[in-house]
Amino acid sequence: MKKTMIYFDNAATSWPKPAEVCAAVSDSFGDAGGNPGRSGHRMSVAAARVVENAREALAELFHANDPSRIVFTQNATHALNLALYGLLRPGDHVVTSSVEHNSVMRPLRHLETLGIELTVVPCTQDGMLDPNSLRRALRPPTRLLVTTHGSNVVGTLTPVGALAALAREQHVLYLVDASQTAGAIPIDVQELGVDLLAFSGHKGLLGPTGTGGLYIREGTVLAPLMRGGTGSDSAHEIQPEFLPDVYESGTLNVAGIAGLAAGVRFLSEIGIKAVGTHERKLVEQFLAGASEISGVTLYGPRDPALQCGVVSFNVAGAMPSEVELILDQSFGIMARSGLHCAPSAHRTLGTFPTGTVRFSFGWFNTPAEVEVGVAALREMAVWATKGAAVPERAYP
Amino acid sequence: MDGLISFFASHHAIRAEMVLKRNGLAAQLIPGPKELSPNCGVALRFDYAQRDNALAALDAKGVRIDGVHFYRPRIDEWHVRQAESR
Repeated sequence: MKKTMIYFDNAATSWPKPAEVCAAVSDSFGDAGGNPGRSGHRMSVAAARVVENAREALAELFHANDPSRIVFTQNATHALNLALYGLLRPGDHVVTSSVEHNSVMRPLRHLETLGIELTVVPCTQDGMLDPNSLRRALRPPTRLLVTTHGSNVVGTLTPVGALAALAREQHVLYLVDASQTAGAIPIDVQELGVDLLAFSGHKGLLGPTGTGGLYIREGTVLAPLMRGGTGSDSAHEIQPEFLPDVYESGTLNVAGIAGLAAGVRFLSEIGIKAVGTHERKLVEQFLAGASEISGVTLYGPRDPALQCGVVSFNVAGAMPSEVELILDQSFGIMARSGLHCAPSAHRTLGTFPTGTVRFSFGWFNTPAEVEVGVAALREMAVWATKGAAVPERAYP
Repeated sequence: MDGLISFFASHHAIRAEMVLKRNGLAAQLIPGPKELSPNCGVALRFDYAQRDNALAALDAKGVRIDGVHFYRPRIDEWHVRQAESR
């Protein structure tokens, strides 16, 4: 695919997608164009094979030993809602961090109105969650701990392994939102000891939009969000109880899942560690360059070892939305400004309600592109603080 | 193939096919005959004589099955008749 722009919005959705992903989506409309699991004819079986191959690839990626514990959803938000509404009942206590995305915060605020008690543990101004302050929040009847694996605003990584150990000690289930890390940071659900892992298919995993999923540890029982046709147990008017069917009512997004599997295969060939190293280098390069620009404020850990491929900043004298517009119009750089669906995270950083500008890097970004990004900030910082001429360069 | 494994869901059927094939066993997914596969539209033909090996392989991979049946579908007769009439 020809790249004509600099795309730094991979935390929203990754771009470009590998050619293999596009081909897999397109191919799925051919021989695998049937409805998966509904019939025994070859096109239905081929579609079911596409789905089950993807399920197996994801189980392997996350080190889940039973692929049926991976269920497909429309996106990570859907997976998080399935976990939260499937698990929490009035009287339960749930603990989360103050840097969560609204895909966690909004369901939790709604659940609060239904009689579920919510504790939001404050993070440091860099978005770090201190396991010690979390320890104090976990107490009976705490049912669930939910945290992000990596902040979608500043990239701060959560010490998931340490939190999982704390949760286990207190007999609390642990749900991890891996939207920003799946595909960029190795995740082993066995080793980490997480009970539920929600992931997006169209970000780091390089699949099409409309894909995501939830890993559910053996023994963790959730009520389904939706009930309906599954192709199985058709004689009964009661929802089947076994996985994955119990959570997969209605026809799955076969085309999207075919692309997602191709994305996972593409990443497996590179190696997730290599992807992480690449993104860390880009973050390091950006932080080194941007920290030297007077008028640019960086947020978050400002340490490539402590964050995923997400960085946040502001340019003194310019609104985040102006910066986003200039980046696009004059430099051909796609960034995201504002609150990033995470008002609580911005309150934590001290950037509410103005927000920040976010660059989020992916496998296809290059050091040369980061250099252009840093140079653009340099030019804008001068313009914004000294009132110099607006870069009058239309892109391209 | 003179055996049939029935399932509760196609997820299990597809996985069973993969597992059997990876173990060098014959396997073919077919529309599940209602009387033997009441819960799932897809069933798996296999060699009934290999049932111990097949079941052990499925068990090792945690693939859930509904039942195991001796089964000679009428499609075999159909193929024979088609061949003879040619």
